[in-house]
Amino acid sequence: MEEIFKIENLTKNFKSLEVLKGIDLSIYKNEVLTIIGSSGCGKSTLLRCLNLLEYPDSGKIYYHGLDIMDPNMNVNKYRSKVGMVFQNFNLFNNMSILDNCVIGQINVLKRNKEEATKIAIERLKDVGMLDFKDARSTTLSGGQKQRAAIARTLCMDPEVILLDEPTSALDPEMVGEVLDVILKLVKKGIPMVIVTHEMLFAKEVSNRIIFMDEGRIVEQGSPLDVLENPKQERTKQFLSRYLV
Amino acid sequence: MKIDFSILINIFNRNISLFIHGIKITCLFAIVGTVGGLILGLLLGGIRALKVEKNDRGISKFFKVIGLAFTRFYIWVFRGTPMMVQAIFLYYFLKPVFHWNSFTAGLIIISINTAAYMAEIVRSGIQSIDNGQFEACRSIGLTFFQSLRYVILPQAIKNSFPSIGNQLIVNIKDSSMLNVLSVTELFFQTSSIAGSNYRYIETYLIAAIIYLLLTSLASAILNAIERKMNGGKKVKTSMEFS
Repeated sequence: MEEIFKIENLTKNFKSLEVLKGIDLSIYKNEVLTIIGSSGCGKSTLLRCLNLLEYPDSGKIYYHGLDIMDPNMNVNKYRSKVGMVFQNFNLFNNMSILDNCVIGQINVLKRNKEEATKIAIERLKDVGMLDFKDARSTTLSGGQKQRAAIARTLCMDPEVILLDEPTSALDPEMVGEVLDVILKLVKKGIPMVIVTHEMLFAKEVSNRIIFMDEGRIVEQGSPLDVLENPKQERTKQFLSRYLV
Repeated sequence: MKIDFSILINIFNRNISLFIHGIKITCLFAIVGTVGGLILGLLLGGIRALKVEKNDRGISKFFKVIGLAFTRFYIWVFRGTPMMVQAIFLYYFLKPVFHWNSFTAGLIIISINTAAYMAEIVRSGIQSIDNGQFEACRSIGLTFFQSLRYVILPQAIKNSFPSIGNQLIVNIKDSSMLNVLSVTELFFQTSSIAGSNYRYIETYLIAAIIYLLLTSLASAILNAIERKMNGGKKVKTSMEFS
């Protein structure tokens, strides 16, 4: 299988706190990879390193064999290919939902306004948010915001999407609508890396699950292996709090 | 200690065209100074908000460091010295280069002075925006300056609008300092009138009333704009006495 990312011995510290202590990982095309672990284990940091929202302290990240930390790498171009969905949605507050979806296409992908709008409308339709295209993000519910944020990411035609706890800031009632949208993308075959606490969802959509603890990958394998037959003590301990 | 209001009215009537000329020039300087200062301030404030990052290339790191040092120096100097001193110094110092008259020099000096304050207003406005907005910009591949232009600054300016508007009111009053360049603004006109009629109390009282009317008018307009920006909601903070 073709590798999208190859991560080698990645470390990241926040001041004296070691958050990532040497991560080695390959992420493949057509794969949905889920990262689980308790809060503070470094799973979000790992995800944020992948599109350089956090800059690693040492180690390498290769994207199709290219070192993304190479000074000659066009980071902005790279980021447009690696979509990101945030826990707090981060929709642009000063524009409509449609403009949220258009702005990146025009300024980064250099599409003309007409084409960008057409694509944006398609993507908003995909996530069921077309009715809200002229709304401001501040008037939407959490679930609607997250669906709009997913549409914004999709408009950039990303090769892979990183989702950082996409449902953690939502009311329980709204989790379903967002997970449905993500599931739809999975079925389309878009590769994803998901950080989540939704174990049932992880089990349903993932090809591979990684369990992280204290900045290291403790265990990885198929959802069945990791969630139902964990081998490591730490994994068992973590999962005992979830009814899987 | 007595103010004779009939004399006051008389002075006003006799010098009405001089006062009106002064009002026009004062308004022109206040508006140009505020708008020019804002434009320059956006540039300086944008640079002030730059962060030197680990993955910067040598050359961009170099320009960032230089830019940050320059803006810090600029703000330090222009906020730390009186505009009156800046006006006289820069006017004579740069005259051999630009061959400018005092009017043009005054417009430029009030703009660059205001810019120092605007830069700090813009910087704190930028810093008040949730970092997630910026991260979302970067995550779809917008450059630093595109992020500022399309997402961060529109929100920052909206949030700092009261402080930006305040600069207009400050400039209505502070443009009076440009009388040292013989710019015929309201204060200069007032002192020439007073110099010919020797009625200092009445003449300067007229000037004070006019300044108060101008700042009140500006404040009312700013409040109306702010109300409109906030979708018709009433604005709590009043700038009446700023």
